[in-house]
Amino acid sequence: MLEIKDLRAEVGGKEILKGINLTINSGEIHAVMGPNGAGKSTLSYVLSGRHGYEVTGGSVMYDGQNLLDMDPDVRACSGIFLAFQYPVEIPGVASATFLKTALNAQRKFRGEEELDAMQFLKLVREKTKELDIKDDMLKRAVNVGFSGGEKKRNEVLQMALLEPKLMLLDETDSGLDIDALKVAAEGVNRLRSPERSALIITHYQRLLDYIVPDFVHVLADGKIVKSGDKSLALELEEKGYAEISAA
Amino acid sequence: MKSLSALAQNYIDRFETALETLPGQSSRSISELRKAGLEKFAVQDFPNKRVEEWRFTNLSSMTKDVANEDGAGVSALTPSLFETDYEIVFIDGLFSEEQSKLDGLPNGLSISSFVDALENGAVFSLNSEEERSLIALNTAFMQDGFCIHVGEKTKIDGIVGIKFKNSGAIKNGAHLRNRITLDTGAALTLIELHEGDGSYFSNPVSHISIGEGARLDHYKLQNESVSAYHLALTDVEVQKQGIYKNFSFSVGGKISRNELKTVILGSDAESHLDGAYLMRGDQHCDTTTLTEHKVPKNISNQTYKGVLDDKAHGVFQGKIHIAPDAQQVAGDQLSKALLLSDYAAVDCKPELEIYADDVKCSHGATSGELDDDALFYLQARGIPELEARKILIEAFLGDVLLSIDNEKVREYFSTRSAHWLKQS
Ligand SMILES: Nc1ncnc2c1ncn2[C@@H]1O[C@H](COP(=O)(O)OP(=O)(O)O)[C@@H](O)[C@H]1O
Ligand SMILES: [Mg+2]
Repeated sequence: MLEIKDLRAEVGGKEILKGINLTINSGEIHAVMGPNGAGKSTLSYVLSGRHGYEVTGGSVMYDGQNLLDMDPDVRACSGIFLAFQYPVEIPGVASATFLKTALNAQRKFRGEEELDAMQFLKLVREKTKELDIKDDMLKRAVNVGFSGGEKKRNEVLQMALLEPKLMLLDETDSGLDIDALKVAAEGVNRLRSPERSALIITHYQRLLDYIVPDFVHVLADGKIVKSGDKSLALELEEKGYAEISAA
Repeated sequence: MKSLSALAQNYIDRFETALETLPGQSSRSISELRKAGLEKFAVQDFPNKRVEEWRFTNLSSMTKDVANEDGAGVSALTPSLFETDYEIVFIDGLFSEEQSKLDGLPNGLSISSFVDALENGAVFSLNSEEERSLIALNTAFMQDGFCIHVGEKTKIDGIVGIKFKNSGAIKNGAHLRNRITLDTGAALTLIELHEGDGSYFSNPVSHISIGEGARLDHYKLQNESVSAYHLALTDVEVQKQGIYKNFSFSVGGKISRNELKTVILGSDAESHLDGAYLMRGDQHCDTTTLTEHKVPKNISNQTYKGVLDDKAHGVFQGKIHIAPDAQQVAGDQLSKALLLSDYAAVDCKPELEIYADDVKCSHGATSGELDDDALFYLQARGIPELEARKILIEAFLGDVLLSIDNEKVREYFSTRSAHWLKQS
């Protein structure tokens, strides 16, 4: 599904990703762990196509297409979803309007009928219920005045609604209490299928108790320095990044 | 003696001839008034950059664009889509009885043209202290306009529309003189719609008087042709417990200026001046306000939002003046501009002149680009860039449009802004 080869990228003229190699097959869940500043968020932004993150080398293929040639909205419509580490506040745009516009943009892209207000409301109510999110959030402006936890839940809600093929979660667990964490994990697990994959960036092994990864990678200083199965996460927790990276 | 601009000279040269055709020539007092206006104008000329209040708006291109010859082709005027209950229509600055809709006015509401009002003995004047040359010019050349009067305790349901349609056939000036008077306890909602094609100069001057406990909801659509000059001046006096609410929505004009002067003469009175302007190309839009609090215990506020694309230029100058014993006054002012291009610009000059000590005043002015993070967030959910930009621009304008009390007008202006966005 996703094939990253020797990916190099700069931000503000500084090389942050220094040759990443990573292949994610359909149905697999990969976790990426690593110290602050390692380049984890940078990787997620490069994959989702943010301006200012300049790819200087390597390639990324997604479903047999050159991902790096695609605009961010086309990537999203093709099934890539980034749950932001820091979700953006958008004053003046109601959450419901935003969700409906996004969902219909994606449906339109896929040649599907757009949902009308009633159909949308029914769908979104189902999802908020599943994820234990209060409906009044839909009336509020996108992320404005949301607590850290609410923002993260909102990301999970969007993911549940858009049903992406490749979920990129950037520290979705930080700022969540254990109940919220379970709900978020449940959101990912519910989408889990042989056709869907995920790349889960996290600091803590805690999340991986609920979303069990097939592979765990350690990202340090812009490179994947170690890969393994889920036991690597436990090992990391015990020994810390320094020792693993040095090994 | 300094020399006058060619356009001013042109006005002066044709004044004597114009007098013969302008209304009221049989009345000595009107002719005297016109002459007084012309004399004042001849000393001042059109405003130029040496005048402090005109530092940001340059009218020098007017001379060539609004030369004395009348325009050649009259284009077909597209009718305005906004439906009103009563309507007075001006074509190229002249009252059109045919197109107006003045039958069956409710008791207490009178609407007449300036020419009719003159015939019925209405008195117009020019304050000897008046320093604004465009008012002097208007006084010399005023050719038509409207007079609206709402009687005591009369509250008018529905909307009075005033439509100004300009075909470009007459370039050198639609000098309109308007008057709105609301007696004690009266209430009125009205909308001015300024529209046109081609190149011309529109110069409406309005005097508004809000009686005790009266309320005027005054809306304005400025959708002049992008080759037109629209220089409007509105003076308002508000008595005790009176409310004046003005919302101006501007999308037209090559150079436009909306100058509003509100004088609050009574306690518990309110003045609300709000607006939105959307400009692109080489358009220039100036909003200049002066709010004078003459007595204690009243409030004024202003919120203007502008969206500027291409090389468009916005100006906001807002002055709040609070007289020495006008205590317990609240005056707020906010100007925000969204710049969609590197070449768009806005100049803001908020001024507070406060001579009382127990007052609450604030002013703020911001300008900035669309938020990149928000744009990316929307795109990352599958919304194409163009649509994402529109969503953010509409969100920027959202709260000021929401402040419009009249639902029909609110919808109309929202539709107009969506229409503007579609053209980008
Ligand atoms: N916009 C930016 N401009 C300059 N440097 C940046 C920018 N964003 C991130 N960086 C730098 O890139 C490095 C990696 O950041 P990031 O990808 O956010 O790391 P992580 O998510 O692993 O904590 C850090 O050194 C950070 O300072
Ligand atoms: Mg990060």
